[in-house]
Amino acid sequence: MKDYFPEILAPAGNLEKLKVAVLYGANAVYVGGQKFGLRTAADNFTLDELREGVLFAHERQAKVYVVLNSFLHDKDLSEIPEFIEFLSEIKVDAVIVSDLGVVKTVASLTSIPIHISTQASTLNVEAAKFWKAAGASRIVLGREVSVKDAGKIKREAQIEVEMFIHGSMCMAYSGNCVISNFTQGRDSNRGGCAHSCRFEYSLDFGIDTMEKKKAFFMSSKDLEGLRILPEFISEEIDSLKIEGRMKSHLYAGTMSKVYSEALSFYREHGHFLSEDLLSWESELQKVSHRSYTQASLINPAGADSIFNERENSSDSEWQMVGKVLEASPKTGIVLEVRNAFNQGDSIEILSFRGKAISITAHEITDIMMKPVTRTRPSTLVKLPFVSGVEKWQLVRQQVLA
Amino acid sequence: MKFVTYAQNLHDLSRIKNLGITEVILGHIDFSRFGKLSDDDFMNLAKRSKELNLRVIFEWDILMTEDKFHQLQNKIFDLLPQAEALRVQDPGAFEWCLKNTNHPLHFIAENGNHNLLALQGWIEHAQGRLERIVLSLELPKNKIQEYCEQLKIPCELLGLGRILLFYTPRQLLAPLHDDRVSYNDELVAIGESEESPHKGFPLIENRHGTFMFHIKEFCVLEYAQELEDYGLSSLRLDLRWTDFSVIDVIMSYLKKEVNFEDLKNTYPQDLMKGFYLTNKTDVLFPKLKNHRLQNRQGDYVGEVIEAEKGSHLAIHIKNERGLKKSDRLRVIHPKGDEFFINIYSLRNLALEDVELVPNDSVAIIQFANGVWVKSHVFYV
Repeated sequence: MKDYFPEILAPAGNLEKLKVAVLYGANAVYVGGQKFGLRTAADNFTLDELREGVLFAHERQAKVYVVLNSFLHDKDLSEIPEFIEFLSEIKVDAVIVSDLGVVKTVASLTSIPIHISTQASTLNVEAAKFWKAAGASRIVLGREVSVKDAGKIKREAQIEVEMFIHGSMCMAYSGNCVISNFTQGRDSNRGGCAHSCRFEYSLDFGIDTMEKKKAFFMSSKDLEGLRILPEFISEEIDSLKIEGRMKSHLYAGTMSKVYSEALSFYREHGHFLSEDLLSWESELQKVSHRSYTQASLINPAGADSIFNERENSSDSEWQMVGKVLEASPKTGIVLEVRNAFNQGDSIEILSFRGKAISITAHEITDIMMKPVTRTRPSTLVKLPFVSGVEKWQLVRQQVLA
Repeated sequence: MKFVTYAQNLHDLSRIKNLGITEVILGHIDFSRFGKLSDDDFMNLAKRSKELNLRVIFEWDILMTEDKFHQLQNKIFDLLPQAEALRVQDPGAFEWCLKNTNHPLHFIAENGNHNLLALQGWIEHAQGRLERIVLSLELPKNKIQEYCEQLKIPCELLGLGRILLFYTPRQLLAPLHDDRVSYNDELVAIGESEESPHKGFPLIENRHGTFMFHIKEFCVLEYAQELEDYGLSSLRLDLRWTDFSVIDVIMSYLKKEVNFEDLKNTYPQDLMKGFYLTNKTDVLFPKLKNHRLQNRQGDYVGEVIEAEKGSHLAIHIKNERGLKKSDRLRVIHPKGDEFFINIYSLRNLALEDVELVPNDSVAIIQFANGVWVKSHVFYV
């Protein structure tokens, strides 16, 4: 059996999501400060939050990588040194960079490991060698690279490789799309992507006998690589990345849990021939997503990788109804409600490990102990204590038959 | 300043021979995104170019996964003897050419590379092998001037041609086309989106993937003199999707024989300057999020997570100091209103009166008019 296992690298759009991802099993998280990343509209981390996040993760043997992966202009670059000094002081585990100027700047200021972002679209051995010579210790490969080629890149360039295993995908080679820049005046490679690839387009092929075609032809299905885990392990891929810093707590938690549990199972048994595989796949269906594809992980992505549907038409049947703020026999389970549910509803509390805890919400009160028959978003409610429920666990409910 | 263009056939070559153009870029079908030349076509065109004293630039601008890279790298040795320089974009091609060829290199830095350090980095890595660097269309003129002055090698810019917006290796048009004849065919279409004010994006699908262009073409020819004064060494004319005869008017304009209006009226597509005068593609970013809620530094206590009118506020404490009963609070509503609160009731989630609620716990204090969920709380 292989004794080599990749890390599960989860997205953390804010400090709460960092805690959720780590507690649900992620070995590492990637986060953004309030500048220099590609998720301008995300909460992102203040300096205090970064410091706390690193402490939280390190106490639980998880790593924190900070994204600096915008294609920075000269004026942005001048602000980098102060931030790098801070990241060095709080001992982040790596920075994720896509621009050679940023690589040079970081390498000149600190020994923080440099990971080359997927934005750089590194696709082959020679490109990996270039970035290694520039000072990188890891390459986040382009999503067009197969697992087999990734293994080759790792072996021949002698550098760590990271691959996306789950989440939304750019249809374009990453970093090679400037639709937003030229049509909306928003630099997609500095965090202003307007997601024009998700629009519906009318296509005129200029053939009299052919009608115009309406299609979401530039929209990609979401990546899902659970069944390919053995290939990732076999090729000794160093890190498996889950996309989605803008996504929900439930997404961060579920993905971290599913992929880390699957990896643990493989570590223990040396195979995936388990009924758990279906249960993990079922869990992946319980978060909002577009249809899944393996994209180019095995063979180059074909026509079946196009998500020719309007956004949000593939929403999950499950939604997050809350987050556990406190759980003890004394206080009961205190939930911060995100989506309403009713007295008598069945809800599931997603355990950090193992099966979800199903309960029926027979008895709900507000925090002043007044009975509640229907909860409201942005309120706190209490449920009777149930053993196994812990702070930071997420609560979900099936909303459609 | 040199003028460079693409030649796709012998007719193109014969048309440019007396126009003052000194270099031609030849696009081989396997190596160039929009190249159509077979091995024989390439050899013939290269040979004819040399007879016309035109310098031949071999374009290798596709991005390549390892598999494809492996297939192509040996083939290039058959073609390179006919070329005098190589231009590449993929860092892998750049690295490979440095090690395996002796040709002068042009690096296409059109994708990102919007800072001097990055551009200098490519040049330094090439250790004298880089003959030219191709600058991004997104650079404003003050940056073009600065880079032409600061970089130690000649710089090139697109002078006129299509603006590539999107490049994927996936074939996106074929699944929608009724009559796809063979894999190697090129498909073209015009795309319109109901969610964009722009109509008529040209699209191409070929063996290298699918490409989308802007509805207008990029043109900075009216600033040619200014660019020459900045020290730009080469201006590229990309007429691959236009009747090539228009090059006569373009060169006449560059020789000041006709004015810019004549050129604009003759040129079949609408033209734009892109970001040549200024690039403000980051000015909208502050509007993408509520900045009142971004300040969570220093005196930040936490966030109001429940506000029950007439009863209480629940605050999620996010500061190592925790919240003491003696603390005075400043609260910022998401809409920007500011409130000050003296705490006279402080309880934990067990509803016990306490003097301190620690970090990462929930504090319950008395309700304050105007304060709502998501309000941010600070120590005064």
